Amino acid sequence: MTVMNADEIRKLLPHRWPFLLLDRVTELKPGVSGVGIKNVTISEPFFEGHFPNESIMPGVLIVEALAQMTAVVYCTGALQAMREAEQEAAATAELQVESVEEVDVSSRVGYLVAIRDMKFMKPVVPGDQLLLKVKIGRSLGILSKVNVAAYVGKECVVEGTLSVSQRP
Amino acid sequence: MNPQYNDMERGTTLLTYQETKEKAEKRRELTQRIKAIIVERLNLDMEPSLITDDQPLFGRGLGLDSIDALELFVVIEDEFGVTIYDDNMEVFGSVNKLADYILENIEE
Repeated sequence: MTVMNADEIRKLLPHRWPFLLLDRVTELKPGVSGVGIKNVTISEPFFEGHFPNESIMPGVLIVEALAQMTAVVYCTGALQAMREAEQEAAATAELQVESVEEVDVSSRVGYLVAIRDMKFMKPVVPGDQLLLKVKIGRSLGILSKVNVAAYVGKECVVEGTLSVSQRP
Repeated sequence: MNPQYNDMERGTTLLTYQETKEKAEKRRELTQRIKAIIVERLNLDMEPSLITDDQPLFGRGLGLDSIDALELFVVIEDEFGVTIYDDNMEVFGSVNKLADYILENIEE
């Protein structure tokens, strides 16, 4: 199932090659949780040096892929909230409000502020399909905890917690 | 509960020596637990007992930041079932303030 394809993801996220690490979004609850896919191929530029004799996807890049999936969940959540506010404003008054479609969504992508208790259970190699699962947890002010996990098949390869900040 | 009413009540019904002693011990247990949680959860390289009850946790005091606050907020909710909200961040002022807030809001 596809909720968002790569082109739609590129419209939402500011990331570009060689740093866009999300191919497809398969499940999405805006602002709450989501699942995405990253297909790992031998053509990835980082395999050139990591390592010349043994191709292993750097763990930090899996964390980055999970952070990008988090950004999709966050942005779509923010977008939905803006749409609802817009509809409400349109319903109560005949005022012209700034259309959501005109807002540059990619400018709303927040920042990664903490990586905690991250475990790397198994090396990720060319040919693996990473299933990126994220769930937004509790928030305090502009900071939120995010539970993240990456799977290859049914096996969990990375698991941990991120903290992200909304753009002030 | 209205804190003023609470104070009045404390003033009129004097506690016995035994009651006061028990209360103080409970309080000390709580502050020690909070200190242990802070040190463990935030990976601080120090003995929990070196944190004093009124030492500021943020900035010049213990040097915590907003990211640590998020961590503390989560662990306090998990450990005590007490939620801290954005508008009462002063609760994170010191171990004593945290203990006061927890005692006020804990579900018996």
